[in-house]
Amino acid sequence: MQILLVEDDILLADGLRTALRREGFSVNHVATGKDALATLVTNQPDIVILDLGLPDMDGLGVLKQLRAGDKSPHVMILTARDATEDKVSGLDLGADDYLVKPFEMPELLARLRALERRTGVARDSVITNGRVNLDTLSHSVSVDDEQLDLPRREFMLLKALMENPGRVLSRESLEEKLYGWGEELSSNSIEVHIHHLRKKIRPDFIKTVRGVGYTVNKP
Amino acid sequence: MLLAIMTLTVFLSALHGYRSSITEIQQLFDSELKHKARLLAITGNGHSAGAEVTDIPDQYAFQVWQDGEILQRSSNTPVTAISSLQEGYQDVNFGRYRWRSYTWIDPLRNRQAMAAERVDTRNMLAERVIMKSVMPVIVTLPVAGLLIWLIVGYGLAPLRNLAAHLRSRRAEDLRPIPESRQPLELRQVITSTNDLFARLEASFSRERRFASDAAHELRTPISALKVHLHNMSKNLPPDDHDLVQLKAAADRMGNLVEQILALHRTAPDQYMARFREVDLYQLVQQEIISSYSGFECHEIQLELNGTRTLMSGDRFALETLVKNLLDNACKYTPAGGRVHVAVAAGDGGILLQIEDSGPGVPEELHERIFDRFYRVGGDRHQSEVIGCGLGLSIVKHIADLHGASIELKHSSFESGLAVSVLFPVATTSRDK
Repeated sequence: MQILLVEDDILLADGLRTALRREGFSVNHVATGKDALATLVTNQPDIVILDLGLPDMDGLGVLKQLRAGDKSPHVMILTARDATEDKVSGLDLGADDYLVKPFEMPELLARLRALERRTGVARDSVITNGRVNLDTLSHSVSVDDEQLDLPRREFMLLKALMENPGRVLSRESLEEKLYGWGEELSSNSIEVHIHHLRKKIRPDFIKTVRGVGYTVNKP
Repeated sequence: MLLAIMTLTVFLSALHGYRSSITEIQQLFDSELKHKARLLAITGNGHSAGAEVTDIPDQYAFQVWQDGEILQRSSNTPVTAISSLQEGYQDVNFGRYRWRSYTWIDPLRNRQAMAAERVDTRNMLAERVIMKSVMPVIVTLPVAGLLIWLIVGYGLAPLRNLAAHLRSRRAEDLRPIPESRQPLELRQVITSTNDLFARLEASFSRERRFASDAAHELRTPISALKVHLHNMSKNLPPDDHDLVQLKAAADRMGNLVEQILALHRTAPDQYMARFREVDLYQLVQQEIISSYSGFECHEIQLELNGTRTLMSGDRFALETLVKNLLDNACKYTPAGGRVHVAVAAGDGGILLQIEDSGPGVPEELHERIFDRFYRVGGDRHQSEVIGCGLGLSIVKHIADLHGASIELKHSSFESGLAVSVLFPVATTSRDK
């Protein structure tokens, strides 16, 4: 997995390069917008980690030019700008994710993994959490090496939860995800599906946060 | 004031004029009297001694004496001399009136001529003359007063409007005063005031920007610090003392920087204009989702109650408020504890309540914990809890911005704190 790191702060870039390499990513670092665009012509990374406050041009400008090209990588914006307007314009210009500094390294890694899976060339398509394994490619789930037979909607719900361990997904956002996959839903379907999943896997694998949504603990 | 001074001056000058006019008229009358006396002495008829003249007006009287005998007299005088036979003016009484008399001695004929005028008549005449000259001033005084009042009032209206405008301003409003449609004299004042406002605004914003820029610039080095710490932790045992302490220090610094940013971003002049309709329930839900990892690792049972509740407010500020309250509940609740969050609309307004099962805060400290940099227990605070003492002062600040009141109570758990933020009805609208 190729990552192009566009960051003008050498201290941070150096730390990130070490951390990402340790996780098995191949990292190429540039410090300016011009260098980033030049590198993108010759080299096709899978993911670009983009700082917005670059010395020569704004990161959003880099994003715009990058998106104008025909084959474009996934982009994660990593910036100190946390205003809602900045996030919205970043995502509107086609960024796939937006993380605000200062960030926690595990958070950055988890998000990179999610992007990696979306590229479809993940080294590992299997998400493991405790005794549960979910294969995003073969659409199969196993608990203690025992294959489970899950209907489509239940599989998608479980995948959404396992891709975001330690994060609460609200009922609304889960519903939106299912709608997004073209599923028809009745008002209490999410509760029903979660109920079935608990019965099939383990009652305490999916937790309810009352009034908020559902979550799967970090492995 | 102006009117009072003017009335007083006019009155005093009228009084002075009245008195000096009276003296002058009296002198005029006196000299006339003198001439009359001399005329009498010269024209006096010497043949019929003691003759009585009857056809002169009542207010005049005369006597002509020669060689100690009365030669001629007006019928309203007694047969005795009406005044002394010395030359000069005298005030005398006869015939039930007071008179002003003049005796003139004619040395040629050895005659004394006395002419007299009634004092009351003289005074009445004098007064009539003076009043005729003073009256117009007295009559026009109120008219002039009214005119002055109107003209000055009209002239001062722009100044009064300016004063009212300045009085109605909020303390932090440093926008320039519009210069158009102001009289020339005031334009100078307004220009200088606007210059002052501009300089103040610039220095305020420099001060504000300095803190927030500094905090903002610190985000990248703090990120670098955290990344390097992460890398270091891979080569060391997870419970390495130095590493754990270093991590705590980095977290604390990061937290402080974020709080300083939040404090400066929620300055009233930045946020008053950005009030929008916000679903408080959904906002709290989002904040719980973003801070859930903290609750998860403490194994705290978190629960949210309520329904969609619309209110008017600033989204970023409200997010910061909820985040700070959640962070506090998470920090001070021991592992396995409980945190209940509720959003409810009632008649008194919209209530946000966050209860925890932590150690709580003694009642006598309820006021102090909103002070900047104050932490319960001071530096002897449980050292594993990261904080800088800014969180609740930011909460208070944001609540004030929204006109909300904060109440601290004992929670409904066995121990712990319940923080209630009550947003007033005026800025809220019920669920549609």
